[in-house]
Amino acid sequence: MAAIVVDDVSKSFRLQKDRAHSLKELITRRDRQSGADQFWALRNVSFEIPEGSMFALVGHNGSGKSTLLRCIAGIYRPTSGEVRVSGRISTLLELGAGFHPDLTGRENVYMNATILGMSHRQIDRVFDEIVEFAGIEEFIDSPVKIYSSGMYIRLGFSVAVHVDPEILIVDEVIAVGDAEFQRKCYDHLYALRKKGVTIVVVTHGLDTVETMCDGAAWLDHGELQLVGTGQEVSAAYMRQVNAEERRERDEIAAAAAEEAAAGTDGPASRRMEDVRITDVELLDGEGRPVSAGVHGEPLTIRIGYEAIRPVPSPVFGIALHSASNVHITGTNTRIGGLDTPTIEGRGHVDFVIDELPLTSGDYELTVAISDTYIQHNFDRREREWRLPVRHGGRMEPEGLVDLSGTWHVTAGAARVER
Amino acid sequence: MSTPAQVWSYRTLIANLAQRDLKARYKKSVLGWVWSLINPAATLGIYTVVFGFFLRAEPPAAGNGDKSFALYLFCGLVVWNLFAGVINTSIASFQTAGPLLTRTYFPPECPMVAGLATVLLQALIEVGILFAVMVLIGNVSWTAVIVVPIFALMSCFAFGIGLVLGLANIRFRDVNYLVGIGLQVLFYATPIVYPLTIVPDEYRRFMELNPVGSFVYAMRQVLYSLDVPTLGNWVVMVLTAAISLVGGWVIFSRWAPTVIEEL
Repeated sequence: MAAIVVDDVSKSFRLQKDRAHSLKELITRRDRQSGADQFWALRNVSFEIPEGSMFALVGHNGSGKSTLLRCIAGIYRPTSGEVRVSGRISTLLELGAGFHPDLTGRENVYMNATILGMSHRQIDRVFDEIVEFAGIEEFIDSPVKIYSSGMYIRLGFSVAVHVDPEILIVDEVIAVGDAEFQRKCYDHLYALRKKGVTIVVVTHGLDTVETMCDGAAWLDHGELQLVGTGQEVSAAYMRQVNAEERRERDEIAAAAAEEAAAGTDGPASRRMEDVRITDVELLDGEGRPVSAGVHGEPLTIRIGYEAIRPVPSPVFGIALHSASNVHITGTNTRIGGLDTPTIEGRGHVDFVIDELPLTSGDYELTVAISDTYIQHNFDRREREWRLPVRHGGRMEPEGLVDLSGTWHVTAGAARVER
Repeated sequence: MSTPAQVWSYRTLIANLAQRDLKARYKKSVLGWVWSLINPAATLGIYTVVFGFFLRAEPPAAGNGDKSFALYLFCGLVVWNLFAGVINTSIASFQTAGPLLTRTYFPPECPMVAGLATVLLQALIEVGILFAVMVLIGNVSWTAVIVVPIFALMSCFAFGIGLVLGLANIRFRDVNYLVGIGLQVLFYATPIVYPLTIVPDEYRRFMELNPVGSFVYAMRQVLYSLDVPTLGNWVVMVLTAAISLVGGWVIFSRWAPTVIEEL
């Protein structure tokens, strides 16, 4: 059964500039044309969210995710179409929304929980749990204005998940907390889902979508692109993001080349990063280019770069994902102990593998170049290259990786008497 | 559109919102809620000095034959404070609740009702002080119970206006300033600090068109003169309260969600 049915929902906003802000403007303006500057945040979006599932909304900033979330929560009314919801909704659109800075944590918990529809007695029952989950026992009777932002978030989340919702709507708030709290939040969401709570999240974390969400919907400029399982949607979304990034890079490079030809130093070349990845090659043991690696054989990954300005000690990195989206490994020149010199112009960096430990199958390769401190990525190509691995003539282990250990038996362990 | 029943189902929230407003209001003040007693007492004192001693206004006789301009004034002031308080608080409540309403769903009428409740509480404290003084000087009668319907009607009347002005204020912040001026004009246009009898006859007709005057008059009748309001009073009070409340509620329910989206 569907907990939430989004039925042909469209939502438009009037653009702010089209509106009079004072009575004076209202009277003196002459160009009042209503409906002239409408912005469609959502257009004919339809899908269903099954009861007890965890569902993600993904898309760029401004794609209409949050608007849709607010329509589901009942804060916005769709301009046309309808959202049908069966169950009690708890929303977590902004953490600590409704916290009054001068009131204590305790008073705010009661306040916040009643906004989410709980009675005083119900709150009494779960109050201790809320405080314990948030981990702020000693501060519960202090005004929340002295709270750190982390404490604020923890308390807000804790209230929202303890109000016993049937449907929980979460905007990108969890991403604000520290790693430990994030894990705690996701564990809790997972537990809620097991209890049969329907959870709708907006997230930019595709890992979350892949690993935790039963379903997902991808929105772009207010239009629904795809509805499917978490894995399908995140893979499709990722492909699109990569394609767009590539197009943008190519455009900048083309514009910069034009400027260079014209002998000027225009905006495009200034926008260009200092160094970019030109190509990635696979080489076999003899240094011959190959289209695939072979299990157990040597393989070299050659990363070509071009630096338009001198770059001191950049860090080159690679990462491998399986076709089923498992992140297998990731390493870089810093981890590998290589001190790269200052680079300029064209060149390449090799990552040499003596015996390829991957079992046969399709893999995806991510390559990146960043500054010395790995604070800034000059160029990062997310899963842009395929790394097919073929069977290497010998027996292969199961799974993705060959640990290439050796087996030893201690004598006497197998005593055969017959 | 939110029905009163839907809003009623959020009564815990309303109580909490009202409580929050009251608590936040007196946080960090040494005297705390005592200020809600001091404020009206101070106003009463100021008006008594200015109008009673300097201007030497002559009040009509009270129910027990005494003449006290201070009490005569305070009767009108209590109901005026309720009127002005509800309107000002409605405007402030909607503005304060705005950010909250864009983040979670609850009927937007809730913070308005909560605001009304806090003002009513303040008005009850004031009328309590007044009543206590009346008991002390021995000017009481059964008519004091009529304060309850007068307060109820005044609340409805002011609340309906407050709902519409609160809504309008989000669109046009001018409303807040206009209301400030408007209330001041209305205050002096209503016979509160002076009796209606000092107004020349030719203007009195116009003054009687002001419904707030009816509430002030009724309040004085039951607490000061220990009499009942006239039938005309009742008609004006009931009609204005009903029209204002129903009209205000319908307009607010219809437009509040749209206004919230544009916050």
